[in-house]
Amino acid sequence: MTHLTYIIPAYAIAVLLAGGFAVDAWLRMGRARRKLAAIDPRFMR
Amino acid sequence: MDASTEFAPPPGPLPGGGRNLHRFANPGRFLRLSGRVLPWVSAIALIATAIGLVWGLGFAPADWQQGDSSRIMYIHVPAAMLSYMGYGSLALCAVLSLVWRHPLADLAAAEIGPVGAAATALCLATGSLWGKPMWGAWWVWDARLTSVLVLFFLYLGQIALVRAFDDPQRGYRAGAILALVGAVDLPIIKYSVDWWNTLHQGSSITLTGAPTMYVGILYPLIPMTIGMVAGFIAITLARTRAAVMERRIRALLQARARTEAVGQEAAI
Amino acid sequence: MTRKKRRLLVLLVCGLGVGTAAGLSLWALSSDVAFFTSPSQLAHDHPGPGRSFRLGGLVEAGSVQRTNEGGKPTASFRVTDGNTAVVVHYSGILPDLFREGQGVVSLGTLAPDGSFTAQEVLAKHDETYMPKEVAEALKKSGHWNPEQGAPPPASTWNTLTVKKTGG
Repeated sequence: MTHLTYIIPAYAIAVLLAGGFAVDAWLRMGRARRKLAAIDPRFMR
Repeated sequence: MDASTEFAPPPGPLPGGGRNLHRFANPGRFLRLSGRVLPWVSAIALIATAIGLVWGLGFAPADWQQGDSSRIMYIHVPAAMLSYMGYGSLALCAVLSLVWRHPLADLAAAEIGPVGAAATALCLATGSLWGKPMWGAWWVWDARLTSVLVLFFLYLGQIALVRAFDDPQRGYRAGAILALVGAVDLPIIKYSVDWWNTLHQGSSITLTGAPTMYVGILYPLIPMTIGMVAGFIAITLARTRAAVMERRIRALLQARARTEAVGQEAAI
Repeated sequence: MTRKKRRLLVLLVCGLGVGTAAGLSLWALSSDVAFFTSPSQLAHDHPGPGRSFRLGGLVEAGSVQRTNEGGKPTASFRVTDGNTAVVVHYSGILPDLFREGQGVVSLGTLAPDGSFTAQEVLAKHDETYMPKEVAEALKKSGHWNPEQGAPPPASTWNTLTVKKTGG
């Protein structure tokens, strides 16, 4: 493959950015759900 | 049904089950609905992106001139679409917030901002990584690149404004106004390559003509785009869910602190 | 008029105002927004000697002459937009995409003899994405000579099936 020095960083940035945002959103959702369940068990269905 | 009845004010105080638009303003209903949709959107995102990556990197032919650097396009084009769609949804949230005072629109806008800014940064970075070997420059100040950079700064401004006030309501208002004013940049980005001569190439895929991209090169772009759009929706949905729950937690804790304070006063 | 309708109207009026303002200022600045000047534009819109600007167009077929002056690669070629052509002199490394028939944008100044001395040459890629096999097939069948410029309409080749040739 040609231009690997450009292709690898491009895909690496994409994977890191998407993965980072996805993991952050997932963890934040879990944290909020646990905290809410501790305060108000009825609110979650 | 005309617009005025469709967006009629909800009977009674806001969270009490209004109709149509305001139906989704009910945080409990939004959490239930989004909780049901989120796994599916996430699955589509993962599967489609995986297909797109393998297809684009492993099986699609390289361009005769660009060589394999043409594969950077499989990230760059969906990222550009996301940056564009993300700002469009920000502007939509702004209208819902400013005109209809939709409370979820404010929360959603605050969560879309950072994701859209990341997509724009990805679009700029991958473009740069393609521009260096192909054009011979990391960056040029032509109309397309400059207008997308302006979009990135608009995102940054919205992110900062939303969080700049002690009263979140004022932040949401300021962010919504910036999002709407900034929306003039969207047609400028879209038509920059047609209105002015630029170093950036014109659109390969248009509504009117045949794509100027060989089908073998074009096809992997379809799962890649579906996957990245679904991923964007999944991430913003998850963030908005978290924001709705966090707001609920704050409200409950404040209410609890108030009743405790009242109780202590009574005890004294 | 309800409060919602009034707010919507205010928003629409503001939007119209912002849109018009942006449109008018871009219209006024359109010559500065343009990234490069074409050889034909130079004829009636001469920037004057010594003023730096960008010249854009296609590298004319058969016009590229490469030499090596004192260890530094030097090239001269003609940049054309179909009507007028300007001779460009450049010493330095040309981008990989540089070839006859390719779009290029050069930054530099006009010399008194009407030729252009470039400090920087960028390749402009067009919107076509074509595998090597398809490009070879079009060249072989005489449907496209890349040195003459843009490829034929996309619908004539974007679904073309070619058998893979080794290498």
